[in-house]
Amino acid sequence: MVNKFLAAPASHCLRAVSLALSVKGFACGVFLSLHVPIRAAEDLGDMWGTGEREAQYYTITEIPIPPEVPLKAGSFDVLPDGRLAVGTRKGDVYFVDGAFDTPPNPSFHLFASGQDEIFGIAAHEDGSVTITQFGEVTRLSDTDGDGQADRFYALGNYWGYAEGHEFAFGSKPDPEGNIWVALGLSGSYKSNNFLRGWAVKVTPDGRTIPVCSGLRSPGGVGPNAEGAMFVFESQGPWNGSCSLKHLKPGGFLGHPASYNWYPLVDGLDAPPVEPESKSRITVEKKRVKELVPPTILFPYKKMGRSISGFKVDQTGGKFGPFEDQIFCGDYTLSIVMRATTEKINGVWQGACYPFREGLNTGIMSVEFTPKGQLIAGGFTTNRQWPVRGLKPFALERIDWTGQTPFEIQEINIRPEGFRLHFTEPVDKVVAADPETYEVTTYCHIYAGFYGSPEVDHTTGKVTRVEVAADGLAVDLDLDALQEGHIHDFDLKAMKSSQGEPLLHRKAYYTVNEIPQGP
Amino acid sequence: MLRLCMTFALIWASLGSGIAADPYIAGMSSAKLSQEAQGRVLLDELNCVACHGAGNSLTRDAKKSPRLARVSARLNPYHLEAFIQNPHGLKAGTTMPEVMHQMPEGERRKAAEAITHFLMSLHDQDSFMPTAPDHVAAEYGRDVFHQRGCVACHSPRNDQGEETMTDESVPLGDLSKKYSFKSLVHFLRRPHEVRPSGRMPDMRLPGRETEQVAHYLLQNTRTPGHLKFTTWRGQVWEGLHSPEVTKERGGMVRNVELSSLGQVHHNSAIRYEGFIRADSPGEFRFMVEMNGGVLRVNGRDVINQTPSNRRGVKKLEGKANILKEWSPFSFDYFHTGRDPKLTFEIEGPGFPRAGLPANMLSVSNQEIAPYTPWQVDQKQVEEGKRYFSALGCVQCHDDVRAERQTYASLAELNSNKGCLSQQVGIWPRFSLSEAQRRALQAALPDADQMLEPEAQLNKGLVSFNCIACHERRGLGGISDSRETYFSGSKPELGNQGRIPPPLTDVGAKLTSEWMREVMIHGKRQRKYVNVSMPQFGEGNVGHLMDLFATLDDLEVAKIPEADGLKAAGHQLIGTDGLSCIACHDFNGQKAGGAGALELIDTTKRLQQNWFHLYMRDPSRFHPLVIMPSYWPGGVAARKEILEGDPGLQIEALWQYLSDGRKARNPVGLSRQSDEIRVTDVAEMCRGRGPAGYRGIAVGYPNGLSLAFDSEQMNLRSIWKGEFASARPNSWSPRGGDRITFPAGIPFHNLEDWDAEWPYKGKTDYLFPHDHGYQYRGYFLDGKKRPIFTYEYQGIMVEDYFEDVMDDKGASYFKRTLTLDAAVATAPFHFRLGAGKKVERIGNNIYRVDGMNLTLSGVTGAKIRDGDPQELLVPLAVPEGKMELVVEYRW
Repeated sequence: MVNKFLAAPASHCLRAVSLALSVKGFACGVFLSLHVPIRAAEDLGDMWGTGEREAQYYTITEIPIPPEVPLKAGSFDVLPDGRLAVGTRKGDVYFVDGAFDTPPNPSFHLFASGQDEIFGIAAHEDGSVTITQFGEVTRLSDTDGDGQADRFYALGNYWGYAEGHEFAFGSKPDPEGNIWVALGLSGSYKSNNFLRGWAVKVTPDGRTIPVCSGLRSPGGVGPNAEGAMFVFESQGPWNGSCSLKHLKPGGFLGHPASYNWYPLVDGLDAPPVEPESKSRITVEKKRVKELVPPTILFPYKKMGRSISGFKVDQTGGKFGPFEDQIFCGDYTLSIVMRATTEKINGVWQGACYPFREGLNTGIMSVEFTPKGQLIAGGFTTNRQWPVRGLKPFALERIDWTGQTPFEIQEINIRPEGFRLHFTEPVDKVVAADPETYEVTTYCHIYAGFYGSPEVDHTTGKVTRVEVAADGLAVDLDLDALQEGHIHDFDLKAMKSSQGEPLLHRKAYYTVNEIPQGP
Repeated sequence: MLRLCMTFALIWASLGSGIAADPYIAGMSSAKLSQEAQGRVLLDELNCVACHGAGNSLTRDAKKSPRLARVSARLNPYHLEAFIQNPHGLKAGTTMPEVMHQMPEGERRKAAEAITHFLMSLHDQDSFMPTAPDHVAAEYGRDVFHQRGCVACHSPRNDQGEETMTDESVPLGDLSKKYSFKSLVHFLRRPHEVRPSGRMPDMRLPGRETEQVAHYLLQNTRTPGHLKFTTWRGQVWEGLHSPEVTKERGGMVRNVELSSLGQVHHNSAIRYEGFIRADSPGEFRFMVEMNGGVLRVNGRDVINQTPSNRRGVKKLEGKANILKEWSPFSFDYFHTGRDPKLTFEIEGPGFPRAGLPANMLSVSNQEIAPYTPWQVDQKQVEEGKRYFSALGCVQCHDDVRAERQTYASLAELNSNKGCLSQQVGIWPRFSLSEAQRRALQAALPDADQMLEPEAQLNKGLVSFNCIACHERRGLGGISDSRETYFSGSKPELGNQGRIPPPLTDVGAKLTSEWMREVMIHGKRQRKYVNVSMPQFGEGNVGHLMDLFATLDDLEVAKIPEADGLKAAGHQLIGTDGLSCIACHDFNGQKAGGAGALELIDTTKRLQQNWFHLYMRDPSRFHPLVIMPSYWPGGVAARKEILEGDPGLQIEALWQYLSDGRKARNPVGLSRQSDEIRVTDVAEMCRGRGPAGYRGIAVGYPNGLSLAFDSEQMNLRSIWKGEFASARPNSWSPRGGDRITFPAGIPFHNLEDWDAEWPYKGKTDYLFPHDHGYQYRGYFLDGKKRPIFTYEYQGIMVEDYFEDVMDDKGASYFKRTLTLDAAVATAPFHFRLGAGKKVERIGNNIYRVDGMNLTLSGVTGAKIRDGDPQELLVPLAVPEGKMELVVEYRW
């Protein structure tokens, strides 16, 4: 399908027109000033073009927001009583009833206000919530039972916050009750205030413990199904593309601006060397032992430009065939993606997959509902960053129709290649043909400048294919696996046993480690 | 007296128009007044009592003439001279009479000249100097003039600036010959200094709009100069007609050097226009370095370079013949792209390469004579003074010291002679129309009698032309020809959004306090109506307020006697009730679409009786009202509230609204606005602001606000009035009377009396944790006021600010600090205040700059000298709790 906004230079005009329409549509509201298309002409990359087919399997339902509620969602959770808790950019916490109904019949209750951009919210059994805002992690409780928070307990704020861009994204509590907070740098290049570029743990008893350094501009924070904690990182200096990164205690996650805080952190020594610019991760991780390579690289524009949100599907199948997989959004491209992880030789790595495009605003957070729906929401800003979705803010819900899409379910690495799992049995003849699989590989320059082109391209030669008896998996042997590379799969010829093409024929596996043979 | 009152009843007769030279009395053209009543108005407006003495209200109401003692600073003397000689010729319709019509022309000229010398001698005249108008401001001024109410009395103007309704408007004459920009602005800002009787009101326009109107009215002023310029700003590289480009200002400059324009902003464009000539004509070379622009000489492009915001400057060159005669010259210059700059040089016959000199340029191809100040001829001053006295000028212009004459009193007048006759004589000639003459003749016999209240009120409404905008009981209202000039910013509100409210029953509608606010202090409730509410001066219109109150009487509404209805009122006003806030603004927060009248002032503004009558049937008071009745036929739309009793429901709204700004926020009120309004409970916001990035702002119900820095745990500022505007991640205080406190922790053991009080410097990364602090958030009390909590070296601190209102209605902060220590602590200091000057003014009362601090619970506060001076309280917490109370008054 042709990208209707962004295919060619002429498409810039199309985008401008559609923006103008959206502004007009809001002319009687208060949104007018919020949506100035300053960078509208910027190329956001091609759309996947799969939106129409995706809708057969996963529908997008808008949850209406009344005009008086400025619901610029930054984070979601579900309360014990089944309401959706939303922390917003304005610093409000809303409890929303009826958002999971079909059709949605929401009512919005303001639980708390006056906070500072909430990019992390976690609901507790007693009805209280813990939020992560710019300057602190705060537990909000309603002690007198009037439905509104009256206790705002600051669990932790022991980090510097004295400039713009110093974002703070918080996780849900880990099994010990700690909130993991990823602290963005002071801009792209510097760490001017304490622990900027670090991840910290805020404990239930109110201590703030530094965990690891080397972040740039993190998004969502959360654990995978195995309980290891991860963060989404944005493309920029020392980050050739966006990625999922493992918050390994004591680790260094790639951007050396935050080295300067080691002397002030108890129990952690600065790595003896700094990474060299214009190198490769695979080279530098041998020099800088603390360097934790990105778990999954998300090729820029193809798979997001500013990834946000983090939620593992543990709906028990209510959301379709992706149990235990990570779901995330993208702020710029208004899409939702999937990711899978596996630990090889003690290092996390994995793959990312397209999932759903065509959401209506910049996605900041995703959350599963008790009914197994996926809530996605966020906002656009007027000048900081371009967004494909046109609404100043929106709350949307992705529902599984019950029909299983034919998808690459997961890719795992093997000593000789990969095992590809599918959601539906494959056509065994097509699947057995090595020509069905196009595998190219590439990596990024690891450097202090902003972003990176894709470099060091190779083409993977499929040397052997073995289709599982049930048709749900295929083992691919390649002539070589490239350490440190994205392995870019294009299965354009693949067919299901029903003759259906794949809903998304692309997937991207990042090889940090190659498992030993049996 | 009764008879007079009757004659003020409605009679279809109108005068004030017709022969252009009639004195034009604005209100009379539209008012429906009897002949006699018209005569009473004319007696006032022509200031008959200035010569013909009378008692009673005639003297109070008579329109005084313009003050002349300082006229030399205000008016062009040449215009003044011409006007004195021929007032009706220069300004048809003026109420100034001709006083020299009986004199031969030569003597008239001589007298006018002498009077001008006399008037010019009274005061400094150096300050009068015509200046070139800003033609861009004039374009904006045109809208201001036509939208803000000027044309309610004065004539609208066409695109050429010509008046289009001269025979039904208060004449202005040619203002560009009369005023300078400076003197006209001064006059418009304070019209009553010159015209004390208030017929020309103070329009209360913002300063910028006043200046724009002045530029507009003076746009024909011609002064010599070199180049006319116009500037634009915005995405100028897209062309000057792009919607992203705004025309900014205009005027005259010496040449094309940017420095002559003051600051030139990046991404702006300048158009220079004028004429060029050379002493030695011939081919000239033009060398220009710039990003882009068009140079045209004598109708031909010499240089034409499209501007671009993506590159730097280019060196450009062109050739053109410059003639000996003035030929058209224009230069569009684009100040955009990388490192924009302009160099402009020429080279030609007998002219070595250099900048373009001013003497080759002129704004006009015809000579414009420069203004030369009037030279006062002392010999003529005395003569002028004699004329001023003998011709009776001093009778009306009585601020000028000259001998006054005595004339027959009003009661002695023969109404067929003198001014009222058609003969030429020693009396002033007003050029009265026949109808005006008859009206005066009809009024004269009873002129010394007081009018009945209604007649008095109607006379006032006509004299001040209130009826140009307001209808009242059929007396008059907006004329059909002017109706189109009334506009508003909320088209959804229909006519109510553009036309000022009727004055019928206004005395039974508004509270006397609110009426006073509107008439004397310019209060405006309907900001969406574009015309402004002019101010006529308390001395001039103060008596009208009493007359409204006396005359307007409505039946008594059935108001139930019931208390405690506020909760029901709260329910009715919100989206769960009648949803009043769907259309009406509430406490400064904008409604969904309509933006109808702000409700928060309802009970301050309206009389309770009128509110009840109005709510039951809004269309009774406003035939075109948009607001529906919520109790049609006496049946409530919401039957479940107060059992659907209309009287109780209306009273519930009244009682709820009587809380004013402190009324509880209605359900469903929008939170979209940036401005946070405080009602019955405190509001908070946080983020970057005057208390750092971790600042927390709190607005309290009693009109006080504070900013607390949750990083250093100290109070950073307090202010009064409106609370704050908040955007994501930042906020800014509103209100006023702000007092700020320096950064720094509250408690510290100051071992060295000379040491600086600790605060967070840019590289004090661990501060204040390294001083034993940890912030712990806050509780909210029943009014949602925070009790901040933090730890200091094992002490648990609760820091609680309450807004308290004293007996006199003044608000102050009461701060209670509770320090809870598990074990007794060592001594330390609490820095309570810091300022330029700290002094003890009573027992435990200290003054820190403009603020008084009253301390209880501790003693022995010390003042530490330095910059700033500090007020330090020594503390030592015993095991358990101690409490310290500070009151902040400012």
